[in-house]
Amino acid sequence: MKKTRFRKFLEDFYLVLTLLFLYAPIVVMMVLSFNGSKSRSQWGGFTFEWYRHMFESASIVEALYNTLLIAFLSALIATVLGTAAALGIGSMKKVTKSVYMGVNNIPMLNSDIVTGISLMLMFIAFGVSLGFKTILLAHISFNVPYVLLSVMPKLKQTSRSTYEAALDLGAEPVTAFFKVVFPDIMPGVLSGFLMAFTMSLDDFIITHFTRGAGINTLSTLIYSEVRRGIRPTMYALSTVIFVTVLTLLLIANFSPAKHPSRSDGGAGAALTRKAPGGNSFQRFVLIAAAFLVVAGVSGVTWQHLTASASDELYVYNWGEYIDESVIDRFTEETGIQVTYDLFETNEEMYPVIEAGAVRYDVVCPSDYMIQRMAENELLAEINFDNVPNIANIGPEYMEWSRAFDPDNLYSVPYTWGTVGIIYNTKRIEELGVPAPTKWADLWDERYAGEILMQDSVRDAFTVALKRLGYSLNSTDPAELREAADLLLAQKPLVQAYVVDQVRDKMLNGEAAVGVIYSGELLYLREEAEALGLDYELEYVVPEEGTNIWIDSWVIPYNARNKENAEKWINFLCRPDIAKKNFEYITYATPNFAARWILDEDQRRDPDVFPDLTQMTNSEVYRYLGTEAEDRYNELWKEIKAQ
Amino acid sequence: MNSKKVRWLAAPYGLWMAGFIVIPLLMIFFYGLTDRNGAFTLSNLFSIAAPEHMKALILSLLLSAVSTVICLIVAYPLALILRSRNIGKGGLMVFIFILPMWMNFLLRTMAWQTLLERNGVINALLAALRLPPIAIINTPAAIVLGMVYNFLPFMILPVYNALAKIGDDVINAAKDLGADERQVLIRILMPLSVPGIVSGITMVFVPALTTFVISNLLGGSKILLIGNVIEQEFTRGSNWNLGAGLSMVLMVFILLSMALLGRYDKSGEGGAF
Amino acid sequence: MSLPLIELKNIEKSYDGNLILDDLNLSVKENSFVTLLGPSGCGKTTTLRIIGGFETPDKGSVLFNGQDITSMPANRRPLNTVFQKYALFTHMSIAENIAFGLRIRKKPQSYIDDKIRYALKLVNLEGFENRSVDSLSGGQQQRIAIARAIVNEPKLLLLDEPLGALDLKLRQDMQYELIRLKNELGITFIYVTHDQEEALTMSDTIVVMNKGYIQQMGTPEQIYNEPENAFVADFIGESNIVDGIMLRDELVEIFGAKFVCVDKGFGVNKPVDVVIRPEDIDLVKPEDGTLCGVVTHLIFKGVHYEMEVTTPDGFEWLVHSTDMFPVGQKVGIHVDPFDIQIMNKPESEDEEAAGVNE
Repeated sequence: MKKTRFRKFLEDFYLVLTLLFLYAPIVVMMVLSFNGSKSRSQWGGFTFEWYRHMFESASIVEALYNTLLIAFLSALIATVLGTAAALGIGSMKKVTKSVYMGVNNIPMLNSDIVTGISLMLMFIAFGVSLGFKTILLAHISFNVPYVLLSVMPKLKQTSRSTYEAALDLGAEPVTAFFKVVFPDIMPGVLSGFLMAFTMSLDDFIITHFTRGAGINTLSTLIYSEVRRGIRPTMYALSTVIFVTVLTLLLIANFSPAKHPSRSDGGAGAALTRKAPGGNSFQRFVLIAAAFLVVAGVSGVTWQHLTASASDELYVYNWGEYIDESVIDRFTEETGIQVTYDLFETNEEMYPVIEAGAVRYDVVCPSDYMIQRMAENELLAEINFDNVPNIANIGPEYMEWSRAFDPDNLYSVPYTWGTVGIIYNTKRIEELGVPAPTKWADLWDERYAGEILMQDSVRDAFTVALKRLGYSLNSTDPAELREAADLLLAQKPLVQAYVVDQVRDKMLNGEAAVGVIYSGELLYLREEAEALGLDYELEYVVPEEGTNIWIDSWVIPYNARNKENAEKWINFLCRPDIAKKNFEYITYATPNFAARWILDEDQRRDPDVFPDLTQMTNSEVYRYLGTEAEDRYNELWKEIKAQ
Repeated sequence: MNSKKVRWLAAPYGLWMAGFIVIPLLMIFFYGLTDRNGAFTLSNLFSIAAPEHMKALILSLLLSAVSTVICLIVAYPLALILRSRNIGKGGLMVFIFILPMWMNFLLRTMAWQTLLERNGVINALLAALRLPPIAIINTPAAIVLGMVYNFLPFMILPVYNALAKIGDDVINAAKDLGADERQVLIRILMPLSVPGIVSGITMVFVPALTTFVISNLLGGSKILLIGNVIEQEFTRGSNWNLGAGLSMVLMVFILLSMALLGRYDKSGEGGAF
Repeated sequence: MSLPLIELKNIEKSYDGNLILDDLNLSVKENSFVTLLGPSGCGKTTTLRIIGGFETPDKGSVLFNGQDITSMPANRRPLNTVFQKYALFTHMSIAENIAFGLRIRKKPQSYIDDKIRYALKLVNLEGFENRSVDSLSGGQQQRIAIARAIVNEPKLLLLDEPLGALDLKLRQDMQYELIRLKNELGITFIYVTHDQEEALTMSDTIVVMNKGYIQQMGTPEQIYNEPENAFVADFIGESNIVDGIMLRDELVEIFGAKFVCVDKGFGVNKPVDVVIRPEDIDLVKPEDGTLCGVVTHLIFKGVHYEMEVTTPDGFEWLVHSTDMFPVGQKVGIHVDPFDIQIMNKPESEDEEAAGVNE
């Protein structure tokens, strides 16, 4: 007796330990959803702010709605398709059967990334514009195998004789199926549906590659936020989802269980064993399904009613790169409906525009990519008669733009900045190192494990090339080799290669120095002040010179609403609007008129608005051609793989 | 409804598979076997032999194999315990272990970053207990942890289902014939749960082998896995042909390992769900 | 008298507060064929599982050859079980299934091979060594389950409704086969069934159980001919159970008619239960019968006719007879004294379950 009690204790201990492991991150998220600070490791006091923000944010509500609708529809269609297929396959000859099952297994065996990419390639090749329907199609495709896998075994167990008995009793084949066979395989169908729903809900990679204009699911929305650090609103949202699911589950499980559990002994226990959780699953699915159907139907009608506007504009922009109220205001003032979509990298945006899978009207790429697009004739000339507010843009930025848009024909600058080094004053003091002033300082061995590098080819090479005194647009193989060797030598000192998490990590005191875009500075300072940190974050543009980057609005060659696009650009060039956007995204604005109405200290902040005339050794990225790009990429992979 | 008519029920899905599985796959083959100008080439496939790709592939194989083994070691006893407790509320218990999957995958992984960081939650706890801090963020160990965390439910489910199918009578029969607990485990439970183990291994190994998000978030992008290489070819390097070629090689590796595993699951009953 | 092979003393067992076995005592002699018989839920399977070691009793002890094995785990007990649904190991061949227990005991391979061959021959399945479990019919699987148990040469074999899943013909064949096996091997059998015919055919001792109590224990003949209470009488075979009053020793009144019987010691004018088997009723001319009635039902059953005779008080007597009386005919009922079985009436339901006549 003692032995078994000890064993039970060990078992309980193991269960609790595993649960702790599984739920630790979730608890962290829940706690963070009440954190007054945006930081992931600093506690800024208890707040419901993020919950309020969540319900107010149109993009979150819409992403949630899309996610649930896609999950529900794809699971439903996959369940119907898969159950029918399972019945058919069950009565097939061996060869056809194994062909079916073999093909069916491909999505399960293939990596998500291959599945996602292959679907994207196909949609683009067949000219299917990416959007809600392509996500739905993709989700159905990867969901059916799960349904098949859970229905097939149940079907095997079902005896044919019950079906025949039903026929014998006069039932039509269809009736016989629904009255006799279907109830038998119901648990399999339900768990298939639930599995499909879960997989769809959790998918990121396939959605990422198959989504198009103006459509986000929670996954893609969150991924776009990784760029600038995830807002706690997402934690709040996840907490709400999690608690909802948990509550539904507990209600379904405990409320009806009170009555039958007491009345019978051994036999009852044996019965419940046969159907582990079948009932609770059923009830839960029914509740969830009913909720979703109502939401779905009302949502679709609502969309139909509001989508009737004839004037529209398709915008393709970086994530978190506009104040959302600006979009509403634009629609208010012009009556133009905006479909707003996000991309993560220039390279990801380029093929979408090139293939014309989605016909965007206005896009915001970076300097070198604008050059590439222009060279490949993907851009339309802007009719500046429709953009009178171009006068607000400082002439020096138009001048710098000539590096990639020689005649200022295609682009209107939106944001600009420098790349430099941010450092933690207290941390470098502890390390006993002087404040960095040049790129070469990033090779100082005293910084071992304290350096955050940019995880992008061009930015990383900029650091090395500039240190060597070469152009950051170098295509000379010898110079690139030299730079690569330098980066290889630096790798042991690097803590991590990150893109947008430099900000969060620096705020959390994870590292002493990091390579960062100047645009992040204002935000960092505000946040550091709000957190009351005991250290300061300082920014320096290294002596060797750096990259001046400019993100500009351009109009693709195949834009359907070119005039609306010009209205959009003109609108964004309005000083009040440019100021609003600057305050939201904190990246330097090229809009002189807007800068004039900023606070005195912001306007004169040399880190945010450096004097470009002084930065003679700095350069703008140019497009280097496929051959050179391949060389950069090869070398970069070599560094990363080391 | 004779069996010939019933067969037609599979026709819609047959068409679907042709359209959304076979054709996309052919697209990958097309890209993988051509260069940027559309001319036939095998160089995309052979480029796997390039040292940076080879290193990434080997590291991916290693990390995903380690994660799969850890998942199995963690999940098997768990599934055994769940099996022995599943009288009454078994369904709920299993569900509790699957529930974390309803939290977004990216958020879950980000949360681990928060936990593991140098100034993260775990180190804060350790410091409070006056224990030395751990430094596994941005190391392969963190990636393995991320893989195990994200894919553990995929191991628990099929293994549990396979074990739950084994009747108490069979176990009692073995005990009756003189087998002790250990012998019951080794001679009865383990062999009978092989289908579940095989499908669990598949469902952990494949996504672990091809992940790029986990290595980015928890590996600090210092560690390049084959998934990262492919992802970057498509989203950053924009050499789709190379990306497709490498995907084909990866597919071959997955198919090979599955074929190897398939030999242990002859009945093909490894229904995961 | 030799020492009992297995002995259950004051066994008590309950699940979730429901008493399944209450103060159960049972002893089984070596080399006997004992059947635990009763309706489902009577505790017979629980009793078997306690002997097998799959359940621990809440109270009481299990003795094997005089040695207390109550807390001995199943794998160390010197007995084997044949399970209701065979519980064969589907991942092993037939030979490996049979060899399982021997391998656990680390017997040499040559010994194991001999044993497999011997056991397969014993259950008439020679040459099945390498077949898979799935390829066997139910009856064959059952025989393998038996072979798997007996190769370990247990002193005691427990069989839990082993023939429950088989069809009638196969069942009868297997019944003879089990008897033959038992006689050849000299193993003690404890057999659980809810089928009274099976119990009567096979066993030398029957233990009738109901609601966790033993109702009666005895040879098949005793159980059939001299049921100790209404439950046993009703459960074993078909019978007419009627209310009667014991007027004095050897005279009982049923529906106002006086029947001579052989029972004594019930007192005077005492209400009792009277059991009369259908084949013990003689139908005679109305004037020769102790009671009179009309034939209301007639079925030809092959060896005999089955009739229902309704007496004026409304009771329908079940009668088996080789003589045929058409429906509507008036008949007299006569019973020989030694064919009348008198039983005390239980005073409460609990008493009924406990079996007052014990």
